[in-house]
Order: sequence, then structure tokens, then C-alpha cells
Amino acid sequence: MIRLYNVHKQYGQHVALRDISFTVSKGEFCYITGPSGAGKTTMLKLLYGAIQPSAGQLQVAGMNLSLLKKSQLPILRQQIGIVFQDFKLIPTRTVGENIGLALEVIGTPRALIERRVQAVLNIVGLPGRDHLYPAYLSGGEQQRVAIARAIINDPSILLADEPTGNLDGAMAVAVMDILQKINLRGTTVLVATHDAALMKRFPYRCIRFRNGQLEKR
Amino acid sequence: MTLTSFQHILRRATRSIWENLYLTAVSASVIGASLILLGLYSLIQNNLSTVIDSWNKDVHVSVYFADDVDDTRRFELRDQIQNMNEVVKVRYVTEADAKQWMLEEVSGINATLSELGDNILPASLEITLDAQMAHPKRIEEFATRIDSPDFAATDYGVEWVDKFNAFLRIFQVLGTFVGLLIIVAAMFLVTNTVHLVIYNRRNEIEIAKLVGATKSFIILPFLIEGAIQGLIGALGALTGLWLIHQTLVNQLQQTETLKMFTQLDFISPGQQVILILIGLSLGLGAALIATVRFLRKVG
Repeated sequence: MIRLYNVHKQYGQHVALRDISFTVSKGEFCYITGPSGAGKTTMLKLLYGAIQPSAGQLQVAGMNLSLLKKSQLPILRQQIGIVFQDFKLIPTRTVGENIGLALEVIGTPRALIERRVQAVLNIVGLPGRDHLYPAYLSGGEQQRVAIARAIINDPSILLADEPTGNLDGAMAVAVMDILQKINLRGTTVLVATHDAALMKRFPYRCIRFRNGQLEKR
Repeated sequence: MTLTSFQHILRRATRSIWENLYLTAVSASVIGASLILLGLYSLIQNNLSTVIDSWNKDVHVSVYFADDVDDTRRFELRDQIQNMNEVVKVRYVTEADAKQWMLEEVSGINATLSELGDNILPASLEITLDAQMAHPKRIEEFATRIDSPDFAATDYGVEWVDKFNAFLRIFQVLGTFVGLLIIVAAMFLVTNTVHLVIYNRRNEIEIAKLVGATKSFIILPFLIEGAIQGLIGALGALTGLWLIHQTLVNQLQQTETLKMFTQLDFISPGQQVILILIGLSLGLGAALIATVRFLRKVG
């Protein structure tokens, strides 16, 4: 599902990632971990095509990202779901509209969007909240809305960048439960985190980075 | 693009207009004001051209006989000119006819003319030329051709029509230049206004890109928004122009000395369509520039 061969990422003189190679299989749940500045976020950005590798080969959902044209980026993004630490919800749109955006961009009819929104809200434990604005939700609820948006088009891969970083313990566990549930439905889940307690509670494979290099794969 | 996608895009565009009503009004007003200026220029240009055309269509040459030319020679010259192809009509005006005309046209001159005698004004031929001769150069050539020692003077009044035509040409060049400046200035203002709308929605654009929105999904709502602003601006400008035109017509009808302008024409349907197209292009162009500039900046 995800393959990296000798991936290298450099910003000017600064080397962010050096000679990274690993594979994540279909349906796997796996952490990308390491201290701050280790290269976790850079790794995720490479995986969703926000940046291009300076060298090496990178394959995600059957697409070679090293050869990916800018015009093909939406095709990649439509196959993966992304969750961010800061939720990235549109404050002027309702929960339903925020979640439905992922289907709107691929031209899904409105009636179907509404049905799918209700379904994913049930999965993340927020039934009937589609008409609310994000400001009326707690941090944990907002993150669950972001997860709902990420999974509404049944992506094969879900990338989460510090999804529990802004949440308290109980909320973080609730979010991890949902991610686990999504993984059980067959979605490959990659979570970037440095929360050791959470990784201990939900033990999965860890890909550990340090100073831009792979410490453990 | 599917019909459903287009419906989503259209809904996003109309929603954005609603949410950014003030900025939409600013853009539409800038476009409208620019088009009113362009429309006013066309209105003035059209009507000046109409006046010039009407002067040119009425192609007249007057030749004044020298004092010593007798009637036989006068009739001979009249007949010669009458037989020329480009001549429609020749009217022989005697000294008495000329004096009578002067008496009718200039009030209070009766006593002065009586003291000066009967033949104070020369006899003349009033020549009406074919409409195809309505060109200062052709009239001048014709006047040179018919010139004879029997004529004391020739008057064909093209000199000042010529000067007016020259003024009109300068007016056209200046108008085109100023018009272009207005369009560029309007484009600049509207581009910056649309840029503000896009900037307000930068988070939404970023999120849409993250969930797989194509470039067209992001750009099209802004283009539709721009086109709607352009259309509103153009329709507003046409309404404004019509009101200005009506006011001018009313004012001119009340002013005796400007009666020749009472037939003030409105801009033609073709020009109205052009104004609407300029409005649409302004809105669309500005939105396109602003969106592409923004997307380049955010990568």
C-alpha cells in the first residue's frame, strides 16, 4: 500500500529525511513516531503529496509520487484521508458541509452526500450533529468530525498527523478507538504521534525517526 | 465535469456572493462605474458623429459671381454646372434674392441695407452635390474644377468641418486611450477585491485541496462569481447610462440654443452588448488573475 525506497528530502542545506525505506501493507495500522523535529510531519507531507522527495522512490496507493504531476494530485488525495492535529475544519460551514466537502469535490449527488454524512457521523459517534457549526463542538468532537471527513469516501489509506495532540487523555483514547475501528474495516492507518502512553495502550507497529533518519522500521 | 459537480460549484459561487455581499457590491460598482464612463464616451462619440454626418450629407457649394458677369454668362455657367454628374441641383440666387434673404435673417438691418443700395450682395449659385461627394477632399476638388474668373468667391465650408473631423479623430484616440486606462484600473481594483474574497476563504481552499479538489473545482466558483459581478455591474451601468441620457435629453429640450442635440441617440444595441461583454470579461478576467495569483502563492 505504501512503499518508500531511499527517500531523501532536503530543504536548502537542511536535510529533513535521509535515505528512508519502508513498506506498509494493506490494512495495517502503524505509527510514525519520534521526537519533535525528527521528520514525522515531513514524512506525512510526502505521503499526501504536499511536498516532493528530493531523491528516491515513493509509492502510495499504487501511484509513484516521485513522478506525480501536479494535476494528478487530486486523484491521490481522493484515495487517502487526512486528519490533522488542528482539525482543519471550515468554521463557516456546518459539520455536515465540512464532512460532505470530500464527496462534493468528486461530484457526488447531494442526496447521497447527506446519507453518507449521517453514516460516518454514526461511525465517529456524533449522530445528528450535522447541522451544528464546529465552534459549538468540543476539541474531541471536532477531531471526530475531521476523521468523519477523512473516511467519508472510503479511502484505502488514512493518514493522521498528531490526531490526539490537542486532546485530553479520555478524548485521545476515544479518537484512537475510532481510528482502530476504521482500521478494522480494512483501511490502512498511519498515525504520526510522539504520545508513548497512547502507543502503549494501542500497541501497533512503530516506524521511529530520529534526526531525519529511520531508527526503527 | 459532471452536472452534479457543476451544481456544487454553482452553489459555492452563489453562497460566496451572499457571504461576501459587501465585496461583491464593491466589485460590481467598480465595473459599473467604469462601464458608465465608457458608455458616456460612446454616447458623446455617437452623437458627434451623427451631427458631422448630417452636416456632410448636406453637401453644398456656393459660388459668387463677379460684378461684371452678365446674366447670359451666369445662366451659361449655371447650366454647365447643372450638367455635371455629381451635381443634384443648382439654384440661381440673384442680388435681390440675396438681399431679401439678409433682410429676413438679420433683424434691424433694413435701414442699413437701403442706404447701401440694391446690389450690395452678389448673385450666386447654390450647388447641391450628390451624397457620395460628402467628403471634404472631394468637395474641395469639385470647387477647384468649377472655378472660373467669372466667380469672385467660392464657399464650401469644409474647412471647419474638416477641423471638427480632426477634433473628432483626436477625441477618438484620446477616448480609446482613456478607455483602456479605465479598463486596466477597473481590472486592478476588481482583481484586488476578488483577491480579498479569496483570502477570506484561504482555509477553505486549502482544506478543499487536501480532500482532493481539482483546480477547476477551486477556480470555477470564483470565475462564476466574477462573471456575475461583471454582469451586475454592466446592467447597472446600462441603467445608469439610460438615466443620464434621459436627463440630458430633457435638459437639452429646455435649452433653445442646443436644439440640434435634442435627437440625442442612446448607444446602439450592439454597443450595449459590447458593454455587457466588457463587464463580463472584466469580472471573469479579474477573478482569473486573482485566483491564479493566489494559487501560485500558496502552491
